[in-house]
Amino acid sequence: MNTTVPHTDILTIQLAIAAVLLPFVACLLNLFLVKGQSKVSGWLSTLAILGSFVLSALVFSKVWNQPALHVQQLWFTVGTIPVNVGIWLNNLSVLMLLLVTAVALPVHIYSIAYLKGDDKYTRYFAYLGFFCFAMLALVIVDSLVLLYAFWELVGFASYLLIGFWFIREKAVLANKKAFIMNRIGDVGLLIGILLIYSHYHTFDLITLFGDHNILSSIPADKTWLTFTGICLLMGAIAKSAQFPLHTWLPDAMEGPTSVSALIHAATMVAAGIFLLGRVYPLFTPDVLTIIAVVGCFTAFMAATIALTQNDLKRILAYSTISQLGFMMLAMGVGAYSSALLHLAAHAFFKCLLFLSAGVIIHEMQHLKEKHNLDIDPQDINNMGGLGKFMPVTFITCIIASLSLIGFPLTSGCLSKDGIMVQAFLWADGKGWIYTLIPVTAVITSLLTIFYISRLLFKVFLGKPRITQPVEAHDGSLLFKAPMVFLALCSLFPLFSSNPFEYEQSWIYKGFAIAVHIVGSLDYHTIVLLSVNVLAIPIVFLTYRAYVKQKVSFKTGLLFKISYNEWHIDWFYHRIIVKGVLYVGAIVLWLDKNIFDGIIHLFANIGVIIGKLTAWTDKYIIDGLLAVLTSIIKQAGNFVRGFQTGRVQNYLLTMLLIIVVIYVLKTFI
Amino acid sequence: MSMLTYLLLIGAGLFCIGLYIVLVKRNAIQVLIGIELILNAAILNLVAFGKYDKLYNGGQTFALFAIVLAGAASAVALAIILNVYKQYKTIDPNAVDQLKD
Amino acid sequence: MNILSLLIFLPILFGALVIVLPEGLRYIYRYITLLATLLQLGLSVWLYIAFKNGVNYGGVANEGQYQFVEKIHWIALNLGSMGKMQIDYFVGVDGISIMLLLMSSVVMVIAALASWEINKNHKGYFALFLLLDMAITGVFCSLDFFLFYIFYELMLLPLYFLIGIWGAARREYAAIKFFLFTLFGSVFMLLVMVGLYFSVKDPATGAHTFNIIQMMNPANYDKDSLFGFIGQHMLLGLPARSVGFIVLFVAFAIKIPVVPLHTWLPDAHVEAPTPISIILAGVLLKVGGYGMIRICFGIFPEVATSYAFWIGLLGMISILYGAFNALAQRDLKRMIAYSSVSHMGFVLLGIASQTTEGVSGAMMQMISHGFLSSMLFFLVGVIYYRVHDRDVYSFRGLGTLMPKYTVFIMIAFFASLGLPGFSAFIAEAFSLIGAFNAGSILPTWIAIGGSVGILLSAGYFLWTLQRMFFGETKLKGGEVWKLALVDISNREMLVLVPLSLLTLALGIMPSLVFVKINDSVLAFVQFIHLNN
Repeated sequence: MNTTVPHTDILTIQLAIAAVLLPFVACLLNLFLVKGQSKVSGWLSTLAILGSFVLSALVFSKVWNQPALHVQQLWFTVGTIPVNVGIWLNNLSVLMLLLVTAVALPVHIYSIAYLKGDDKYTRYFAYLGFFCFAMLALVIVDSLVLLYAFWELVGFASYLLIGFWFIREKAVLANKKAFIMNRIGDVGLLIGILLIYSHYHTFDLITLFGDHNILSSIPADKTWLTFTGICLLMGAIAKSAQFPLHTWLPDAMEGPTSVSALIHAATMVAAGIFLLGRVYPLFTPDVLTIIAVVGCFTAFMAATIALTQNDLKRILAYSTISQLGFMMLAMGVGAYSSALLHLAAHAFFKCLLFLSAGVIIHEMQHLKEKHNLDIDPQDINNMGGLGKFMPVTFITCIIASLSLIGFPLTSGCLSKDGIMVQAFLWADGKGWIYTLIPVTAVITSLLTIFYISRLLFKVFLGKPRITQPVEAHDGSLLFKAPMVFLALCSLFPLFSSNPFEYEQSWIYKGFAIAVHIVGSLDYHTIVLLSVNVLAIPIVFLTYRAYVKQKVSFKTGLLFKISYNEWHIDWFYHRIIVKGVLYVGAIVLWLDKNIFDGIIHLFANIGVIIGKLTAWTDKYIIDGLLAVLTSIIKQAGNFVRGFQTGRVQNYLLTMLLIIVVIYVLKTFI
Repeated sequence: MSMLTYLLLIGAGLFCIGLYIVLVKRNAIQVLIGIELILNAAILNLVAFGKYDKLYNGGQTFALFAIVLAGAASAVALAIILNVYKQYKTIDPNAVDQLKD
Repeated sequence: MNILSLLIFLPILFGALVIVLPEGLRYIYRYITLLATLLQLGLSVWLYIAFKNGVNYGGVANEGQYQFVEKIHWIALNLGSMGKMQIDYFVGVDGISIMLLLMSSVVMVIAALASWEINKNHKGYFALFLLLDMAITGVFCSLDFFLFYIFYELMLLPLYFLIGIWGAARREYAAIKFFLFTLFGSVFMLLVMVGLYFSVKDPATGAHTFNIIQMMNPANYDKDSLFGFIGQHMLLGLPARSVGFIVLFVAFAIKIPVVPLHTWLPDAHVEAPTPISIILAGVLLKVGGYGMIRICFGIFPEVATSYAFWIGLLGMISILYGAFNALAQRDLKRMIAYSSVSHMGFVLLGIASQTTEGVSGAMMQMISHGFLSSMLFFLVGVIYYRVHDRDVYSFRGLGTLMPKYTVFIMIAFFASLGLPGFSAFIAEAFSLIGAFNAGSILPTWIAIGGSVGILLSAGYFLWTLQRMFFGETKLKGGEVWKLALVDISNREMLVLVPLSLLTLALGIMPSLVFVKINDSVLAFVQFIHLNN
């Protein structure tokens, strides 16, 4: 522990640690001590999160716009290299701390009612607590290794929660997809972290990215920096569901809606943006441009897809992807503070949208069971006219939608306008191709207006599309209170005293750089006016299309492309997944026939040599012996021939020998 | 050529004829005749060289011995041939080859 | 009595007891074996606690720094004109061996507990098991090459029978393939060993020696000897030292295993009975890694440096190749076997990087994988024991049928794919850090290729989870299987809970391992860089 840190700061750090650990304690208690369906688990977790929220607020008040706090302790040593665990509390950390707990609290309260009666009730709250712990830890750690560790754990928590109802086939396919796609990003993140370590030999975030960081003082090779930046960016792209690693998010909607609200709208997906915020000094201008392009493209693409989807949660999922694209765009064009402002604003209104979606789906499910209908409770084509039955839900939804559109007087206006204005300022004087980006952002805004109005009109207004009488109502207080709270947070007073000047927002001021850029045009008013003025005809158009049903958009190539989500998922499934499996099959073939084949070849050669040797032994070596014996046998047979048994032969032989001897003796 | 040479030649001639008969003939009695001829050739030789022993007449004496012995041998040989005939029903020496290998 | 000698020979005493007891008491053999392994575990834990740390206990190339040493003149023959033959019984541990000893003791206990399912020829099985135990412990402790070789070969014999008699359908094929393949490697190692013997002189006695530590010191080599540094003999067109290194590398690469010398592993692991698979994957593969560090890199460090690129490349290829193969498998046990190939690739990559982080990561990976693969094979064995089927496609929705089992499977799978909080994350991260840091010998793309391995491992493990455990319950064997698939019994809990706790403990407190190995790893890396 740093001994030069004053006492109050140590207390703050301890409060922060407590804020992070409370949900984990609740998780452990729920896993091991509380019985399966007991209601205690819900209240226990909620209490823990409330405690976290209070502590986070305290920590926030101590650290916001104050000097950052940092403590570090040795975790383990590898050789002579120390690996430390530590806490770094700066503006970004405490804002995220507060934000996550502020959104998690209403979701916990909502979940108590939403998952009532589920036989894995306790398990749900255990997982939720684990997620909160991992997410909160992610935002306060000071080392890249720990960042990576909690990043993965957040992904793991998401896996558990998406697949919470693991009997459903779609849910388990979705969580597998989510984890694997996130892993792709994780590989990039890991490579980036290790590359940084190989150059600077430290994992410490403060040394690398803090106020007087290494990156500014030691010049590094541009290409290597760009490559590392792209690797880190990959992690953010996967976690924040940007193109091309975005297809897991719509499928992740298979999880409970409260999970979608917390994780896949407000917090986990924002972790990617948080990462970009943390490692921001690393990015070279090239990487920043790439970030901007990725964000802008994703925003546009997701908005076009959201136009035609029929599943309520899917529309919201694509909306999330689109808004995250905006945040990424903001990071890319240098609007660091606006990105974080939008992150905060988005967390509240998107969470709210999801929670209301949960209530709506709940009611549709009741209707389905009551009248025994064969409908999909999440399909907006089956809804309609619910506004008059569920006024609270309706009004909160409107507020959230207005914030999403960026209507004046909401938080979204502040953040979104800020992003677009700064995008224009960034593109100013850079060439026409750069201007495409802010222009696309504006178009995406308009598309956002369209799809969200479509959603509102189809769900809440007009006549109900089911023929049976519709009975629906708002949820209990446990449903309503969180939603109202979030709705209030979506209005401007929480963020800024001035509803139109985003620079006045306290979040913005917490991160802003002192330099104030002046553009060639007064973008403030242009953007504000253009978006809001154009909003009116768009809303009117959607009203005519979906309420009055006088206009139809169902046909056309663009519709088909949008409806099929640009065929990206099809591409991934058919080409990439099947490609990888095909490589696996080839490698297996290689293993069985070539590598093992060589071994079997050697084995067979051995056997053949053995047989050859046996043959040689039997026929050649033994054969020689046989030849020898036959020669002797034949010699013997020949000599035997002399014993004819005939006396006269014997006599003749004797005579011949005597003659021969006589001749030999006389003449030799 | 002296008388001796003539006698020796006749003796050699008799010997060769006798040897030929012994070796070639297929009848055991004829072989016996051959043997007699050989013996007689040897006796003739003896008598021929008896000329040089006028004191004791060794040649003539030895010849008489030899003739007696030849006669005895013939008797025995005939006895053998008779037994062989009894056993093998033939007197062809080539037919009696039980001692062959 | 030296504690290492006690540790080594304890199992064989119990083995003798098993042989002597009559056949009728067949169920007592399990308990005797369990007792033996537990005693060994106790001794290992004591060794772990009593093991001293600090710069003076680095070991590796410094004979005086080894701990619990016992050196007895074993074979000392006077060969007249050829000098004196000196073979010592030389055992000792340093940081590199101590953790492997502890891990192998734990794995042996697990394997003993898993041996409950053996149902024929109990006496033979447990006697061979204890013989194997002795051989493995001996390998990790010996510091005399001859002694090392004896134990190394002694490991093969019981394994051949254990796989060939108590294994599954293709057991004879697998046993003979394993035996001949491994023997092929070690036979050439014998030649190098003898060559080294004749090249090295013990400074103390002046005789040739098999002492591994003496072989690491260039000063001990005769000037004109085969493996001498100055003479630079050539053998088959390459310097003799390179040939020696390559031969030793091949011998240990077959054990680790390194692609393409790995094809014995899937067959051996799959056909062996569960406890033997646990020993094979948990301990035997580490013998290869240990031999690679201690002997191959220790005796020929300069050759290792010049070939570092190729070794690193082989490591990366093993990681990716093993992972791709695992993706294509339907047999669960075969998939886990190939994932072992993939994980051991990290070990090779870490060693090849010759950095502190890399070698530490490699050692940690050996220990972590020892526990995790034991857990994985045990879990597969649970299912196989109940229904005799290991095909992933035969099962669906086991999560609802066997919830506790599913929890352990999830722990094992997520730990294996490197989820932070478990040991494999630290191990793989540091192996990769080492690879990234070895900029002078390994290009960055090798390290990047290795990192992609973690993506692929997520692929096959998660696919298996989704396919076998989640979704609606549907079994190939229908109702008969539903009845057979009971959840985990107490004995199985006794195995799985400690393993889970161990891997969690190592993930959260890696210092448990690092504190013991740091000095030796540092000494090892310094030694390699010094003798470059």
